Amino acid sequence: MVNIRATRVDDTAPAGLHVNDLSVAYDGPPVLTDLSLEIAPGELVALLGPSGCGKTTLLRSIAGLERPIRGTISVGDRVVSGNGAFVAPERRRIGMVFQDGALFPHLDVQRNVAYGLPRDQRRSGRVEEALAMVGLADVADRMPGTLSGGQQQRVALARALAPRPGVLLLDEPFSNLDTTLRLQVRAEMHRLLVDLGVTTIFVTHDQEEAFVLGDRVAVLHDGRLAQVGTPDDLYRRPVNRWVATFVGDANLFRCDRPNGSCRTPVGEVPVLVGCDGPANLLLRPEDLAVGEGDCGTIELVEYYGHDAMVHVLLDDGPSVKVRTEADLPHHRGDRVAVTYVGSGAVALGL
Amino acid sequence: MSETSTATPTTEGAARSRAGTGRPPWTLSGGAVLVAALFALPGGYVLWRALTGGALHLLTERRTLEPLWRTAQLAFLVSASAALLGTALAWLTVRTDLPLRRFWRVVAPLPLVYPSFVGAAAFRSGLTPGGIVHDLAGHLGIDFQFRLHGLAGAWLVLTLFTYPYVYLPVAARLSALPSSLEENARLLGDRPLQVFRRVVLPQASSSIAAGSLLVFLYTVSDFGAVHLMRFETLTQTIYRTRLFDQGRSFALALLLLALALVVIAAERTVARRGSRTEVVEDRSSLRIPLGRWKASAVATCSLVVGLALFAPAVSLADWGLFGWFRQRRGLAGLRLDWGDVAGATWSTVWVSMVTAVAAVAVVLPVAFLLARHRSRVGGIVNGVVVAGFAIPGLVVAISLIFWTLHASPFEFLIGTMPILVFAYVVHFGALALRTAQVAVSAVPRRMDDAARLLGAGRLRRLLTVDLPIMAPGLAAGAGLVMLSTMKELPATLLVSPIGFRTLVVEIWDTYEALYLAEMAILSLVLVAISALLTWFLVVRRADHLS
Repeated sequence: MVNIRATRVDDTAPAGLHVNDLSVAYDGPPVLTDLSLEIAPGELVALLGPSGCGKTTLLRSIAGLERPIRGTISVGDRVVSGNGAFVAPERRRIGMVFQDGALFPHLDVQRNVAYGLPRDQRRSGRVEEALAMVGLADVADRMPGTLSGGQQQRVALARALAPRPGVLLLDEPFSNLDTTLRLQVRAEMHRLLVDLGVTTIFVTHDQEEAFVLGDRVAVLHDGRLAQVGTPDDLYRRPVNRWVATFVGDANLFRCDRPNGSCRTPVGEVPVLVGCDGPANLLLRPEDLAVGEGDCGTIELVEYYGHDAMVHVLLDDGPSVKVRTEADLPHHRGDRVAVTYVGSGAVALGL
Repeated sequence: MSETSTATPTTEGAARSRAGTGRPPWTLSGGAVLVAALFALPGGYVLWRALTGGALHLLTERRTLEPLWRTAQLAFLVSASAALLGTALAWLTVRTDLPLRRFWRVVAPLPLVYPSFVGAAAFRSGLTPGGIVHDLAGHLGIDFQFRLHGLAGAWLVLTLFTYPYVYLPVAARLSALPSSLEENARLLGDRPLQVFRRVVLPQASSSIAAGSLLVFLYTVSDFGAVHLMRFETLTQTIYRTRLFDQGRSFALALLLLALALVVIAAERTVARRGSRTEVVEDRSSLRIPLGRWKASAVATCSLVVGLALFAPAVSLADWGLFGWFRQRRGLAGLRLDWGDVAGATWSTVWVSMVTAVAAVAVVLPVAFLLARHRSRVGGIVNGVVVAGFAIPGLVVAISLIFWTLHASPFEFLIGTMPILVFAYVVHFGALALRTAQVAVSAVPRRMDDAARLLGAGRLRRLLTVDLPIMAPGLAAGAGLVMLSTMKELPATLLVSPIGFRTLVVEIWDTYEALYLAEMAILSLVLVAISALLTWFLVVRRADHLS
């Protein structure tokens, strides 16, 4: 025990994380199936998926709070789970921030932050340092119950970072905050994590959050990894229809031979990534434009301020979503034309 | 931007935290099984003795069926009237514009501070010569001959001192009922009384049923009040035959035990069904104007609270003061000096404190097992502990006495403090378990996970996270056990070591010897302590909530 604590203090570099063929099951069908994920030291990775897809389970397995039935997890060079080994969560050098912060309500901020430090380091200034990092040096003597939600989350982050973990896990850390506060706390944490260069994995069900924070995003679906990539990869080049619709608004047009280019109700569309056999062509709303014409009728206009989303029911086809500038000269019921203005589409196999 | 951002994130995490991290550690399961074995001992011994005693045929005898019939009669009457009284008071104090609502809400549950036998003694002594009612009537020239006894007496006394078991859950349920329900019913065209019948009553029915079943259990287990009222129920027959007709005593004890278990099983089923409905804390509940019924509503509340709370206090104070003045004037000495009172008080307080601490310590592993892990062992252990609560104190006492007498390696326990504390813990452990379970589940699973990830081992987590957060809840549980222990009559009477005299034992003996002034003084002390403790528990809980 003493040795482990000692190594934890000395070994302050961010660690990489390797998940190999991981399967986790509670009594019943597996929640995670044969999942593999490589994360480089210092990388910020988002785990994105709908509720129940297994993302929290993956996070808890990495932390050691769940016991996988198969596969290995390594932090740096050290196998913490698998190959017959299972390192208890308290010995993994992993920090975690929970959805609600999970601050100890009976300890003041200072003691909360000091909780994970070895006894001899509790008065070494590390606590103050961690609190200053999150900009909360002035609340050290307060009880958690007297802090705002945003402050609690920042204290929780300071507490997780104080022992200098090799990997930091965040479990929907902003979901309990209201919208304005969420954006503010998110931006602050983002900057801090990038500055510190901590290897961070965070769970979210919010596509926007995943894209804004993540260097890379891992999309989970039904306990399997659907796709891993940069936000742009996922948005522009999703590997299947499910990912395409999950990470943003999508117009899908059936295309029988997705090679070269393809005829669609909005005109001829060049195919960037083709595939064999019939497929769906993915056209994002911003790849389309509304103009004067007589090809369809505007069903709905959704106004967002920075832009607007127009739903047009085409005469010879489906209803499509078009992103336009906010001051649209058209109204509900107007007859318009929809044209393709993008630079090429991805074909998704059926 | 995306449709998914509105999805609720909490469901997944909630499901996970309930499932716990797989199987409980064997130390915890083992500890819980050990606890269950202890709790099962008294009931198991009764079962074994009844089955091997060859007296089971007595169960069909007329002499057996008569006390059973009387017990059932009394229990049905008392639970029906307590249900009526408790529900009416709850509705009046929570849902109407009754004058002085807050006062009524404070005093309505207070009759619980009287042990039923103290209440019965207060009523009976108030009506006898020397009692306040008898003497006042005498001053008015009336020769007062009415004596309270038998079925009517037992029914009145038990109703008055058990209706809070219905009042409390029903009042809680009614005040938690969102007013939007009633407002909707009104908007959909119901008149106030229809709303009560169609919306409020169905919502409260499970609380009423659960409370009434507790009253039923209390009545069939009651020993002191029915004894004072000379109404021979099962407990009386068991007590009377325990020395010279043990076969009968154990057969009847088995009968009583079975009855109690059926009742508690029904109570748990009903209570569980009731808890499924959503509860929303909403202070702005609809108040129904009483109109011309206001006066009769106030009269009803005054009558009930007057009889259940003030009448016994006045009667006891009258006897107590009378005795004290008599001594001051040197007319007749009290057969009791302050040393006796202080000694009995001290014995009462410390034995109940020891019991409270022991009970909490014993049930803690079970609470952890139940709150943190889902396992079949947990369910069984919980059932056994709750059954211990259902078994009447008298049956626990008799079982433990004869078990120590007959189990030769344990003979050294006869008439010792450990066996008395053991009897109390078995009988009241369930009270501690219920609050301890709530206390353990009040520690969010994530709190424990957070501590683990910060490097804390199991012991450090228990000492620095779990116990400090649970402390208020555990203290409340200990307080409940303490309160019940100091009021427990039959177990104390039968199992106490020779010469160990608590307040209830002294009250019992002085009443049996008709030293009513002494009985009154001791009762007032007991009531005062239990009132103080109740107040602490209520005030502390109020603090905890705010």
